[in-house]
Amino acid sequence: MTVNLYWMQCGGCGGDTMSLLNADAPDLLDALAALDVRVLWHPSLSSASPAQHIELIECILGEELPLDIFCVEGAVVRGPTGTGLFETFAGRPKKDLVARLASKARFVVAVGTCASFGGISADCAAEACGLQFLKWEKGGFLGRDFAARSGLPVVNLPGCPCHPDVVTGTLMALVQGAQVALDAYNTPSEWYGMLVHQGCTRNEYHEYRVEERDFGEKGCLFFHMGCQGPLAHGPCNKLLWNRRNSKTRAGTPCFGCTRPGFPQEEPFFQTPNIEELPLVLPEGVDRAHYMAYKGMAAAAAPQRLKDRRTEV
Amino acid sequence: MPAAEVKASRRIEVPLNRVEGDLEIRVELQDGCVADAWSSGTLYRGIENMLVGRGSYDGLVITPRVCGICGTAHLTAAAMALDQITGASPPANGILARHLALLTEHLQSDVRHAELMFFADFVNPAYANCALHSEAVRRFAPFQGRAVVEAIKETRKVIEIIAILGGQWPHSSYMVPGGVSTVPKKNEILRCRHLLGQFRAWYEHRILGCSCARWAAIQSCADLDAWLDESLAHRAGDLGFFMRFAREASLDRIGRGHGNFLCFGQCAIPAGSAVRGPGGKSDCLVPGGFARGETVLPFDQEKVAEHVAHSWYEDYAGGRHPFDGVTRPFASGAEGRKYSWAKAPRYDGQPAETGPLAEMIVSGHPLFRDLVARGGPNVFVRELARLVRPVALFPAMEQWFAEIGPDEKFYTAPPRVEDGRGFGGTEASRGALGHWVKIAGGRIERYQIITPTAWNGSPRDSEGVRGPWEEALVGTPVKDPENPVELGHVIRSFDACLVCTVHTLEGRRALARTRI
Repeated sequence: MTVNLYWMQCGGCGGDTMSLLNADAPDLLDALAALDVRVLWHPSLSSASPAQHIELIECILGEELPLDIFCVEGAVVRGPTGTGLFETFAGRPKKDLVARLASKARFVVAVGTCASFGGISADCAAEACGLQFLKWEKGGFLGRDFAARSGLPVVNLPGCPCHPDVVTGTLMALVQGAQVALDAYNTPSEWYGMLVHQGCTRNEYHEYRVEERDFGEKGCLFFHMGCQGPLAHGPCNKLLWNRRNSKTRAGTPCFGCTRPGFPQEEPFFQTPNIEELPLVLPEGVDRAHYMAYKGMAAAAAPQRLKDRRTEV
Repeated sequence: MPAAEVKASRRIEVPLNRVEGDLEIRVELQDGCVADAWSSGTLYRGIENMLVGRGSYDGLVITPRVCGICGTAHLTAAAMALDQITGASPPANGILARHLALLTEHLQSDVRHAELMFFADFVNPAYANCALHSEAVRRFAPFQGRAVVEAIKETRKVIEIIAILGGQWPHSSYMVPGGVSTVPKKNEILRCRHLLGQFRAWYEHRILGCSCARWAAIQSCADLDAWLDESLAHRAGDLGFFMRFAREASLDRIGRGHGNFLCFGQCAIPAGSAVRGPGGKSDCLVPGGFARGETVLPFDQEKVAEHVAHSWYEDYAGGRHPFDGVTRPFASGAEGRKYSWAKAPRYDGQPAETGPLAEMIVSGHPLFRDLVARGGPNVFVRELARLVRPVALFPAMEQWFAEIGPDEKFYTAPPRVEDGRGFGGTEASRGALGHWVKIAGGRIERYQIITPTAWNGSPRDSEGVRGPWEEALVGTPVKDPENPVELGHVIRSFDACLVCTVHTLEGRRALARTRI
């Protein structure tokens, strides 16, 4: 049966769409065809005229056309002072259209950190928020009790951008009626139940606490360079980006872009420390034990790691 | 106003898709032609207010997220501004690893824009009676057309180069003051060269319908006509098809504009490199400049100023240089005069269009000089410049990949992080991009970004002069106001990217103190 999908872009950069075009095996078009998904509208890809687009929206709102999947990319812009006039569509606040379409949809999917949690825009004058979260707090634009017609809350797919395989994988699961297990932030645990740290090629350097204080080296970036790999949930180092690489493999710290609090307030590229240990430890780790463990690990570090002879 | 004139006049408002971001165009039609036009950016993100007060390197993380399609250009500008502030001198490898990712971003952007966004208009029912329409549908129908399917496949392959060099695309942050964070290995560089070669082969086969060398031999309008007639392969490529369709649709007669061209230039050539810019010069791959007619003046960032008379911001007189810019959103008041979230940047007091065509004109490309001299800037020439820009990028990229020395450094620690200000200017895929940055006490004090679309899609300035695409819309015939495909051609020929219209507030959360 044909599945109708409407994709809306709100306060964001369009990067999730650009990222989605990088999907492979299946790529975006293969996935849509295999699932018999009809894209009613995508702002970057559709060719309908403005008049046809408005007619289409009216058909959905009038329930003449079922809306199976409503994807939102970018944060919901509520500013200034709650009017939503910082982002308008056909002269009206776009946020109103978001709410109306969400109320008709079988599934609502927040693609990217902005749509999920507010992201970058949430810190700005735009008074932006995620569909069902504002940063760490449940509620967001649609409210904590919102459920789409399927009964599921907004399915959050954070990441700045969201990994394309996560988007196509989620669409496949929803369309095929598979159970999508969600964690506390309504993210599918299949991809967000793991840490960015897992699969990083610098893991051994991390293990023995061989750490870097500047760019262009092979050691771990967690202790001084601001890497959030051990804190951020996501499959970056499992799926890899563009099938090739990841930030941490390329010597760039993880910025924690899947986290509800992204972007953090503290400066990037540095790790706040107490007694030479990061203020914020890997998720769930006890400080006293970690201090003892890392002290011993550093003492046990083999010379090949200290000399940076092991490739990453 | 005479009654007859009122009757013939009609205002229409057109929300535009297949641009990045939110854009609405309002035009006044008289006797079936655009008499006046207003371009309205309908999204205010206020993105950089969060940069003020942040760590000095935070621009490297936040600004690529201004735009999902040209984040590498933002990263380049941010890193250049910080190079200046920190006194960094990146080693040649670091410079090349930056250039190669930026140029790869152009390759994907030029192709994705043309094949997915611009050519999709040829499928529009407005052309149902056009002899080439069914072929256009076969090539460019959204989600299905042969060219659409291939373009998605090939562009996602070529940007693997950016992932190899910089970890991922979009939204990488691997450029840092002093070079890049990554140390690509020999084999990875070889893979990049392979990916580039594959993309080039596809581009020559499917888009050009000839070798890059054959295309580069075209020096004039006469050469261009002869090239099209020369072989079936030339006419069958997407470029040849575009030329044939453009003739039928008279795309060379619409979208003229002011005729001012602005380019910030890109890719400084490191010492010892064999790559040469236009005219055999050894300073940069694309020079900066401001051109009008035959005159080209060198680019000087001091001549940039932004106006807000018609933008939803608190007024100030005339224009302000970005280092002194203020941005206070102001959604009500001055009704009728203010109509956009985009500011109006001006160069030496003048509006200017920017993008691949401006690059060609400022670089003195003979074919594009000839085309503009004969038919003015127009939709056809603008899109042609974008579609063939890769021709000049391939040889430079191939040479630079060959020049990267994997055993040498990619990063040199900057000598200092101290207070100061810096300008980072480059070409993003759709034109001139500048970051103006002030650091004080190890924190960002001010961050101003002027994007290509801020130039092209600007509203009127304090003198009431239209922005480039507003001007380009004037005179455009619109056959069916319900389906104004002609307006789409004009705007999309500038490769509009409205997510770029971002603005700085003076302090964090300043809006709370600003009365709206």
